[in-house]
Amino acid sequence: MRKIFVACASALALGACERAPEPAADSAAGPARAALSVHEAWARAADSGAMTAVYFTLANGSAVSDTLTGASTDAADEAGLHMSMQQGNTMHMAAVRALPVPAEDSVLFRPLGAHVMLMGLRRPLADGDTVPLTLRFVSGQTLEVRAGVRVP
Amino acid sequence: MSIRSLLVAAVVASLTACAERPWHGVAMDPANPAPPLSIAGTLAEPATRFTLADAKGDVVLLYFGYTHCPDVCPTTMSDWVRAKRALGPDTSGVRYVFVSVDPQRDTPELSAAYARQFDKAFVGVSPTDDELGLLLKEWAIAAYPEGDPRTNAYTVAHPAHTFVVDRDGRLRLMIPPGVRGEDIAEDLRRLR
Repeated sequence: MRKIFVACASALALGACERAPEPAADSAAGPARAALSVHEAWARAADSGAMTAVYFTLANGSAVSDTLTGASTDAADEAGLHMSMQQGNTMHMAAVRALPVPAEDSVLFRPLGAHVMLMGLRRPLADGDTVPLTLRFVSGQTLEVRAGVRVP
Repeated sequence: MSIRSLLVAAVVASLTACAERPWHGVAMDPANPAPPLSIAGTLAEPATRFTLADAKGDVVLLYFGYTHCPDVCPTTMSDWVRAKRALGPDTSGVRYVFVSVDPQRDTPELSAAYARQFDKAFVGVSPTDDELGLLLKEWAIAAYPEGDPRTNAYTVAHPAHTFVVDRDGRLRLMIPPGVRGEDIAEDLRRLR
């Protein structure tokens, strides 16, 4: 994870990493601010449904844990953290108020698990489009994510 | 041992291996006749109607979900798309049917459009409240709203598996979520 942090930090300096466009000089504000990053973000295409989901890997390269508390986007009326869970033969989906992102660890948002649910899509999402997403953390930090729309 | 007997042994071995090859889905044993399933839909739109008995002779994939489902249902539909693609250009002999268990929000037209967005051949139907009550009982499956059904934001608990009915109308497989489309296709090839 340390390596990912380093790679991400250097990528950030080049402006290539998928995360908040914080200027490098801002790192003086504290290393923890630069440590959260999102990788491989994608949204499922939806052309007539009002719903879809966004998936990504959320990495915390710092030694301080943080907690994801919410998401927002201009692509939909609502964005929320959700978790799909199978209990016996039945599938459930529950809203998640807060999702811890432990220090030097990462959390996977993936199909059949944690995802950001987009409700009330304001436009159809087609293969190749981009969905902007803002992730909010309990620390006050936010991450700007651009998720590519895919037909998986 | 002659080459001929070696060949024979190899063929026998491969046939045995074939017969014993495990399914990717969960095989029902015994494979009993599938419970009845009949959705009247609307008279105006034939795409909103489906009766399982009419599909005899074809393999039928059934999924009980809802269109406001952002993760599990579209993931399963995408796996179906991959399975259909993996089966190749001959698409005959397999039907793909999405059955809504959320009649409050899913009109027959909405379910039909929802299924069609994944593949034009996919059928999507919405039962009436009475049809839903009957099918939950006969299929021995659970589906119920979670959260406040007076808002638009409730979710629906629903069966996790894809049900596969064979050409003779028997319930043969339950495919758990997460099985790759290519593996679903492998099972369907054996049933088609």
